[in-house]
Formats: sequence, C-alpha cells, structure tokens
Amino acid sequence: MARKRVINKAKGNILFLAGAAIVAFFVFVAVFAPLIATHDPAHIDFNSVLLPPSSVYYFGTDELGRDIFSRVVYGTRISLFVGFVAVGISVMIGTVLGLISGYFGGFTDMIVMRFVDIMLCFPSFFLILAVIAFLNPSVFNVMAVIGLTSWMGVTRLVRAEVMSVRTRDYITAARIQGISTAKILFKHIFPNVFTPIFITATLGIAGAILTESALSFLGLGVQPPVPSWGNILTAGKDNILFAWWLSFFPGIAIFITVLGYNLLGEGLRDVLDPKE
Amino acid sequence: MKKIVFLLLAVLCVSFLSGCEDKNKEGGKTAEKRKAEGVTGDALVISTLGDASGLIYNITSDSASHEVSQYIYNGLVKFDKNLNIIGDLAESWEISDDSKTITFKLKKNVKWHDGEPFTADDVEFTYKFMIDNSTPTSYDADFRLVTGFQVIDPYTVRISYAEPFAPALLSWSMAVIPKHLLEGKEAAKSSLMRSPVGTGMYRFKEWKSGESITLEANEDYFDGRPNLDRLIFRIIPDLNTTFMELLNGSVDIMGLTPTQWVKQTDTALFTNSYDKYTYLAPSYAYIGYNMKNPLFEDKRIRQALTYATPKQEIIDGILFGEGVPAHGPYKPGTLWYNDNVKKYEYSPEKAKQLLAEAGWADSDGDGILDKDGKQFSFTLMTNQGNSVRTKIAETVQQNWSKIGIKVEIRVLEWASFINEYIDKGKFDAVVMGWNIVQDPDPYDVWHSSKCGPKMLNFICYSNPEVDQLIDDGRHTMNPQERKKYYDRFQEILAEDQPYTFLYVPNALVALSKRFREVDPAPAGITYNLEEWYVPAGEQKYRFEK
Repeated sequence: MARKRVINKAKGNILFLAGAAIVAFFVFVAVFAPLIATHDPAHIDFNSVLLPPSSVYYFGTDELGRDIFSRVVYGTRISLFVGFVAVGISVMIGTVLGLISGYFGGFTDMIVMRFVDIMLCFPSFFLILAVIAFLNPSVFNVMAVIGLTSWMGVTRLVRAEVMSVRTRDYITAARIQGISTAKILFKHIFPNVFTPIFITATLGIAGAILTESALSFLGLGVQPPVPSWGNILTAGKDNILFAWWLSFFPGIAIFITVLGYNLLGEGLRDVLDPKE
Repeated sequence: MKKIVFLLLAVLCVSFLSGCEDKNKEGGKTAEKRKAEGVTGDALVISTLGDASGLIYNITSDSASHEVSQYIYNGLVKFDKNLNIIGDLAESWEISDDSKTITFKLKKNVKWHDGEPFTADDVEFTYKFMIDNSTPTSYDADFRLVTGFQVIDPYTVRISYAEPFAPALLSWSMAVIPKHLLEGKEAAKSSLMRSPVGTGMYRFKEWKSGESITLEANEDYFDGRPNLDRLIFRIIPDLNTTFMELLNGSVDIMGLTPTQWVKQTDTALFTNSYDKYTYLAPSYAYIGYNMKNPLFEDKRIRQALTYATPKQEIIDGILFGEGVPAHGPYKPGTLWYNDNVKKYEYSPEKAKQLLAEAGWADSDGDGILDKDGKQFSFTLMTNQGNSVRTKIAETVQQNWSKIGIKVEIRVLEWASFINEYIDKGKFDAVVMGWNIVQDPDPYDVWHSSKCGPKMLNFICYSNPEVDQLIDDGRHTMNPQERKKYYDRFQEILAEDQPYTFLYVPNALVALSKRFREVDPAPAGITYNLEEWYVPAGEQKYRFEK
C-alpha cells in the first residue's frame, strides 16, 4: 500500500526525521511558550541590565534587563506564526493562479505568466522593504507583504503540474460528464499537485522566517516590545563586543529553525517521491 | 551660527562637538608661540554619521553639513568659551540707546579663501541673500525683522529694527558668504555647495561623497593659522563601526553611546590612547503630546503621564546615569534655567488620582482605563536608528500600563516619521529631542503661531499667556528683565506639561590623547579647536605643503 511505503520510507530518511524533530520542537515551544518561559518577556528591570547567562537568566538579559531566554521562547511564536501565515497566503495565491493558468492555457496562461514574470523582476527583499516603509511596520503587514511577494514560484510549479495532468483521460472524462470547471480543478487536479505544493511550502516557511528576522532586525518588522528573533538580534548588534549572548541565542534559534524546515522540505521530497 | 534648533541634530542625539562656533581668542598668543616652536601639523579625524548635504552654511540645516562648514565661514559675532558674545568678523559694535540699531565695525585684514578682500558689501549681500524669497534657508526669520541695512563705509554697517529685538545681535553669527562668487547665482546649485569659499580658519580641500570631507588650515586666517594642518570628516553611518574605527586609531574623536562609555572604555586598548570628556550636552529628550488630540486636552492627563514616567530610572537604566532630569526647555546651570518650577517626582498614585479626577476609570475591569465607553489607549511614535528612544518608549509603555493606559509603540523611518506624521499632525505622542540653543528665545518651538506644516511647534501648544511672554522676551534687551519673562514661561510649561521633559544627557566624548590644549567649557569641547596641537614627536599624519 502506498501509505505504508511512505511511512517506511520516512522512517529510514534521516533528513526527514531530523527536520521533523526540529520543527516539532519549535512548534511545541511556540504552543507552550507561557509554560516554558521563566520570565515575562516584556518585563523591564533596570536592576538586571546586560547580565550574562546564569541559572536565573538562562540566556542572559538585554539592555532593559529583560530575560533573553523568555524573549527567544516567545519569539518562536512570532517566527512560526509569520512563517505559516505568509506561506499560507503565498500558497493560496500561487495555487489558484497556477491552476487557472495551467488548466485554461492560451491567453489566460499568457497573462498570468507575464504577471509572474513582472513580479519576479523585482528584487524581492527590496520590494518588501519598500512596501513596508510605505505601509508601516507591524506583524500583520510583514506577513501580508511576504505572502504577497513570494507566490510566483508556487504558481509556476502548480502550472507545470497541471499542464501535465489536464490532458489525462480521467480529466477529459470528467469534462464530458459536464462536471463544473471549479470542481474539476479542485477535486480532480488539485490532489495531483498537492505534494509538490506541500514541499515548496515547507521550504517557503524557512525563507519567510529569515525574511521576517531580517525585517525586524532592520526595525521594519515586529514592533517593540513584542520579542522577535530579529529585533533581539538588533540589540545584540549594538553590544556585540561585550554581550555575545544577545546575538548568539536568537541567531542560533533562527539558524536551527531554518535548518529544520529545509531538512523537512528536502526529506518530504524524498519521502513523497512516487518514483524509486 | 547655530541659531535655529536643528531637527536633524536632535535625531542623532549623540550631540558632541556642541558649541560649534566658538573659536576663542584669548589663547591666540600661546598658539603663536607654539607655531614658533614648530608644533603645527597633524590632522584631527572626526566621525560623522551622515554625509553633508552641502557646504553653504546658510542654506543647509543638517548637522553633518554644519559640523563641517562651521570651520569654513565666520559670522560677525560668535561665542567665547563661556558663551559670551564676542566679535568674529566684527571688530566691535555699538547698540543705540533705544536698542533698535546695531552698528558693526568690521575687521580690515580679512580675506576670502580665494584671496579677495572681505568688506561690508559681503555682509549686505548675506543679509539680502537671507531675506530673498528664492533662497532656500530655514534661518530667514530673524533677518526679516531688519528694517534698515546701511553700508556706511567698506568696514562699517548699520542695521536697524522697528522695535528692540533681543536675539538681534546673536543673529549676526550667521555665516557671511562671498558676494563676488554668489551674486546673481542660484546658491543651491552653485559650485560653492561642493567646494565652498569662506573666511574661516580652515579652507576646503576635498570631498569624497559618502566617504570623507577634508579641510586644510587657512594660512592667511585673520586670527592666526590653526595648529592642526587638516580636519578630516569621515562619514561612518553606524556608531558601533565608528567605535571600532576609534579603537583602530582611524578616528580621533567621537561621541560615545552610554553603553560604549560605561561598558567598553575600561580596556587598555582604549585608555592608553584616548581620554574621555563629559559635560552636560545642550539638548534634551522629551515625550510630546499632540495638543489637538482630545485625549490630551485636559492638562491633568498630561500631568498624570509625567507623574507616571520614571525619569530617574530612565537616566540610570538607559543612560547609565549619564544625564540629569529635565523639567523645562533650558539647560540646567545656565542663566535662563528656572529651577523653581513644578517638578513631577515618579508617583503612579498621583497619576491615578489625576486620571480619576479627569473622569477616567476602569469600569469594565479589563485593566485599561475608560471614559464614555472609550479606552485610554494611544500610539507612541519615535524614529528608527536611535535605540535610546526605542528603549524609552518601551519603558514608559510598561510604566503607563501600570496606571491603566494602553500604549502601542511605532518606530518609523526618519523621513516618513517627519513628513507623514509630524508635519501632518498625525500622531498621538512622540519620543523626540531638541537641541538647546544659546539664545533663549523659544518662539519657534512654543509660540502658537508656529503650529503648522514644517514648523517646530508641531504639537500645536497654544497658551495666550505664553505667547505674550515670548513676544515680550523677544523685545527686551535687558537680560535680567528677559529672564523674568522666561522664568514665568517655564513655570507655565511645567504646569501645562505639553511635553514630559525627560532628561538632559551628558555629552560623552572620546578623544585621542595626542591632542593638547583641549579644554571643555560651557561652549563645548571643540570651541578652541584652533589651539589644539600635537607635539612634534606624537604627530601621526604628515602632509606635503
């Protein structure tokens, strides 16, 4: 059975297992942040400014005496939330446009693909910076902007997959039976392109997390005092010569999370690949 | 020269090199002696955060431009080390008995950098330039009050006003610009913006855009050649990088951040090569409330917010103690500062009480005050690139939440912060700073007529009594009498709390030990720059003559 084969393959795939473990760990941290954090991440205490890691403050404290450990823990929420929502938006847009473009072909396809080409012409981070500067920074805007500027890859991928299945006999049969186009698209074609979308989305989350961190680092992302890995790093930059913990821990958190999603994506590709 | 409050300098906040125009005369003899001993030479490498926008002093207003061009030009008058007004291009001056006319006698041995002689025509040209509507300057207001300008002979000018105008004399510290090079030309597009010609102690040498600006000593300076051969302004947009450059020896002077000052200067690398200088900076930080927002209409609300702001904790925690609490717009320890105003010690209880009197109560038990069904919540804005301000915002957010006020913080890019929010009045409250200028006239920032786009009373504070006091203060020449108006002005401000005045920071300057004759005074640290020298054996840079 296909399912059994997939599970067996998954069990033997180190990449997949490592990625899944890392992602699961961070999801766990995000969900149970209030239980894991040892301090209020926004609580300012001028009596404990810039303390190195200790048994009280596992990751040390920042310039306002806030506990870095708790901030990194809560920052997990922001990172994952932004990652999921931004990718959700881009996958939705990308899938719908890809299905339409691939299924209808011809003029529709030309219009959609040229639009994709135009969007791809913009250097994406610069575009995001410009839009955020215009809209003003907030978590919502960051998610929306990342989502709205990163769907093109998904569109191309979905379009290619759709084009390869739309001429199959069962689609023709469905069409002859008079089944509506929307139903054909979502019920008969979509399941065929789901796997590649799922893999792309996993990899996309890693990219979105990195982009959010970069934006917050530049002060254009999540606004203070909400902790995000990027804005903890910003404080780290100002004190890097003598307070390494400010940069080290959020940096490591970003590194491991992004690694986790990349491993998971790669692993999924291997596991879900019907060939072999 | 620095008459107007510079918005930009306020951004940079680390205001070092403060009293900009003071080239003291008293030390002239010792400087000459040193010249005879052969200790001229070497260069001072100064870091600036931004590139200059242009080098004609009168039509630029960013601190980077002024930091450079102050050494290229002279005004008619300037400050000495103790902030007394003394002659610069003017040999002497006389003020008429009715205080409406000033007659300046100009120095006769002054030459422009291109060798042309400086005369009264240049002063007249500068005056006409300043009031010309096509001149893009922010410093025209004082000159528009001039009612008569007379060139009596090549070295005498007489200037009259319709009524006594207290800042008049100081307004002539404005840079005098060369008539023979600028007459009939559009200054902003003139080549002098990039290669200026002045009368100052340093002349322009080279400008590498975004990298550095170099000035060299004016051998023919009327007050004697400065000892240091060159001033090199290096543009380094980040203070951490600047500090590394300092440790590396490629920068000689910089304003440190409080964190750098406290945490990073006790290494041998630093103490072997640098001295630290600290003095009260001529600037203050504040939280300003939009007076057009009904939320802040009631002065009890603003008083409550001040009561709930822990000024001392902010100074100790964020500035590491390098500052003093501010209670008004003047610098403590100066003539104009009034210490007998209402002060707001940190007291959340008093704040709560005032808010209750004003009708705010937490009727739905959600921890946030409400009144007529509306929550007490607003947005506190500040600009990016100044982590101290962001930290202040986060600190007051926490403190105000304790008295039931919900604050959202927004940190915005400077240009959009000023153009889209401040100028358009689209803000609730802001964390910002002002430079404290030498003349006490608060007209631009506090007079109700200065509320409008691109004007400095952007919170739109309006109090008829304050307006009257400001007007009276402007038209009184006697400092003691003037002080009475400003004392009362400060009392009213303290009562009204249109700003929560936070603190006056210390300037924290690191300067290479090889420079001698450094003597910080009320006018700042660089006021006697022409006397600084480096002993022959310690000189670092050599230049071909």
